[in-house]
Amino acid sequence: MTQRHSQTRRRFLAAAGVASTTALAGCTGILGDGGSGSGDDDEPTLADFRGSGELVSGRPAPGGTSIEELPDLEGELSIYLGGGEGGRYTTLVDLLARYYPDFEPTTDTQPSSQLANSIVQEYESGTTQADVFWSVDAGSLAYVTENGATVDLSDDTVSAVADDRFATDQWVGLAGRSRAIPYNTNEFGESDLPTSVDAFASESRFADNMGWAPTYGAFHGFVTAMRQLRGDDGTREWLNSMLDQNPARYDSEYRVAQSVTNGEIGAGFGNHYYAMLMVADSPDAPIDLAFTENDAAALVNTAGASVLDGAENPDLAESFVRHLLSAEAQEFLATRGFAFPMIEGVEPVGPLPTIEELSPPDLDLQALSDVQPTLELLRDVGILS
Amino acid sequence: MAASERLARLRDAVVGDEEPGFSLAVLAAAVAALVSLPLVALLVRASNYGLGHLVGLVTQTSSVDVLVNSLVLVFWVTLGCVLVGVPLAVLTVQTDLPGRRFWTVVAALPLVVPSYIGAFTFVSAFGPQGDLADALAVVGVERIPAIYGLHGTALVLVLFTYPYVFLTTRAALLSFDGTLVEAARTLNHSRWAAFKRVTVPQILPGVTAGALLAALYALSDFGTPSIMRYQVFTQQIYVAQRSLGVPEGYPALLSLQLLAVVAVVLALESRIGGNTSASYVSRGSRQPGRITLGAWKVPALAFCAAVAVLSLGVPLGVLAWWFADAGEAVFEFDPGVAWNSLKVAVAAAVAATLMALPVAGYAARSTSLFSTLTDRLTYVGYAVPGVVIGIALLYLSTEFAQSLYKTVPLLVFAYVVRFLPQAVGTVRSSVLQVDPKLTEAARTLGRSPFGAFRKVTLPLIAPGVAAGAALVFLTSMKELPATLLLSPIGFETLVSYIWLVRGAGSYGAAAIPALVLVGVSALSMVVILAQERYNG
Repeated sequence: MTQRHSQTRRRFLAAAGVASTTALAGCTGILGDGGSGSGDDDEPTLADFRGSGELVSGRPAPGGTSIEELPDLEGELSIYLGGGEGGRYTTLVDLLARYYPDFEPTTDTQPSSQLANSIVQEYESGTTQADVFWSVDAGSLAYVTENGATVDLSDDTVSAVADDRFATDQWVGLAGRSRAIPYNTNEFGESDLPTSVDAFASESRFADNMGWAPTYGAFHGFVTAMRQLRGDDGTREWLNSMLDQNPARYDSEYRVAQSVTNGEIGAGFGNHYYAMLMVADSPDAPIDLAFTENDAAALVNTAGASVLDGAENPDLAESFVRHLLSAEAQEFLATRGFAFPMIEGVEPVGPLPTIEELSPPDLDLQALSDVQPTLELLRDVGILS
Repeated sequence: MAASERLARLRDAVVGDEEPGFSLAVLAAAVAALVSLPLVALLVRASNYGLGHLVGLVTQTSSVDVLVNSLVLVFWVTLGCVLVGVPLAVLTVQTDLPGRRFWTVVAALPLVVPSYIGAFTFVSAFGPQGDLADALAVVGVERIPAIYGLHGTALVLVLFTYPYVFLTTRAALLSFDGTLVEAARTLNHSRWAAFKRVTVPQILPGVTAGALLAALYALSDFGTPSIMRYQVFTQQIYVAQRSLGVPEGYPALLSLQLLAVVAVVLALESRIGGNTSASYVSRGSRQPGRITLGAWKVPALAFCAAVAVLSLGVPLGVLAWWFADAGEAVFEFDPGVAWNSLKVAVAAAVAATLMALPVAGYAARSTSLFSTLTDRLTYVGYAVPGVVIGIALLYLSTEFAQSLYKTVPLLVFAYVVRFLPQAVGTVRSSVLQVDPKLTEAARTLGRSPFGAFRKVTLPLIAPGVAAGAALVFLTSMKELPATLLLSPIGFETLVSYIWLVRGAGSYGAAAIPALVLVGVSALSMVVILAQERYNG
């Protein structure tokens, strides 16, 4: 099963290494003199940070603050790393460690919500273990912040994030991710896709033709958002109508995107980047993304980071977070993770709209930490066992 | 059981009137107190919440569902193990099944596959979009029954725990008096009637003993239900400990409930073991004539083969497939991870052995109630599931010893608590075999007590001590939940690495560590078997 996933990724990353030099033909010099950047001992260059392939080629050099302009990272740093996009985040940490020989990061990778819980427990018992919490969703960052386990970030770090929806005093967004509707382009035209999540639960053309991944964390975030927007009863109603449409169940949203691509289903619910992975893998894949408007299916969430209260090395921790908002790191997250970048000067990849062009619902991302009632609701409706 | 009787007899034979020294008693008591600490911490933590709060939690949360789920799982696993284990035992002992020796070994072997690795490979093979599903899709089979949930969990647990029933039933069959069956046959009972009226009552205690082991295992296993997504105590405790917005005290409450169920199972075990010990250890008996299978030979062989394919073929095949399929990536495996596993397991083995020596020495040489108590207290680890020990040590460290929280010493201590009984057991039976007159002789020749121990006792018990240490080492290597809960940040072991890549879906990366753990498991079986032979 997921075997194929990792193979795809491996192939994709291997291709990234080879093709990056071509992609960079016109814009070397961001970091030193460009160069091949292939040897492990070499200082990594933009080519190493940037992804590759048709989607990436021809991108302009990223704007924003370059790593070169930031103070050096030096010393030991413990990072609680939530989820991590199938290993991509650790790759970025490795790149920074290669860039700074005196920087020794240690990462502990677990689901973000689990780490958030550990952080709060550790904070309350005075046994804080990590310096930085890097989470894949704002909900768990909010949970940690609300429980007092983080410290204020400097203005310099906070102001690096262009959109103030994605930064607070205590955490900053690093990589935006939107809920989306991946659809098969052989089956639907762009104008066929409704702009309301309710249409998918009521229109007959979506019956037996949709897919979702109800055990997936991102799906739980989506349902939590819906609960905030229309209450538990309204959400239950939508879920029940959706169940009447008999959607196919998958164990991940990557699978949803895959099944849309191979025509098994016409459309599905998922985070936007899974469809991008399909396109990156095969540029002619019959898959595209639609976005609803002002409802939970268009929720824009963000991965983000904060510095933990009790960190052994808070200055290094903050500087590390600042590095994640550098031009190179943001280019990495945009081109390898297909995320919406958080700083001015770095654009989302290829066909993606910019984050400003989306119409997410008006919702405080902090509210996404309220996941337990969501799980109970899903169980109650019979979606989760 | 017979073991305790035999111990008592041995003890009577070797213990003189002289009680062992006071210092030995103090040491043994200190060890017993130390390993009981986690449970005390758990009780303290639970009592902090107050009874009212905990009772309220029972009604307000899904803990009743969890209880029901756990009991249902235990029921099916136990039943399944009997249905698989007993026929296999009967076939290999009492019939003319072709290749009986071969099938005996094969039927016992699934014990060497850690159940979480079994579950992991089953999900890979039979899960949605698994390898098997992919293969069947080619020939037009769209969906195979989901492996997740109760039936998947029960299936995997049966496949990797039925050997307990198989082995105990086999032992009962081998030791019971075959002439009884022949007597029944001469009294005109049919073969089936003779089996029902003579054989069944004779082997029932053996079957029950194995079934209880399987039940206890099903109750305490963490990996399989977690991988198979079935909500039982172990899995819920782990999730509750790590989820947002879980009510205060919920993990502690679940842990206490689980311990209560374990206590019931243990009470059942001691009752059954106590009442019937005599019936299945009668020795020197003759075997009855073998049952001729005749036309049943083919279905019997098919049954043996089917069990073998599912319980050995699938996991080993999948591991081999991962290994081959991962190609170059296999060699990206970081040996530092294995080194970490090795270090903590060696530390646990050394610590457990040092702690087992006074306990076992005291228990073997003293008949006092106090020695029985200290001995029993060190058996905490056998009764308490690893996830509960992990949770208890988290409480202990965050409330009373913050500097130990998520440190290697605390992780090692968890292994010691969990596996000390193995060391105590092997050391004690070796001590019992040393004639105390030898030590007395050394003492009369002017040796100090410690000198006598070092010169006389230690060399004699060394094989038992080594076996105990080896067992602690090997079982610590593969302990899952305590490792996940207590490992320091960035401290990756084989087990936590497997768990991580499983979560990320990179199965190929798990090939080497999983194969190493199966090998480690196999070695611990070898140690156990060798030790049994040594104890005669």
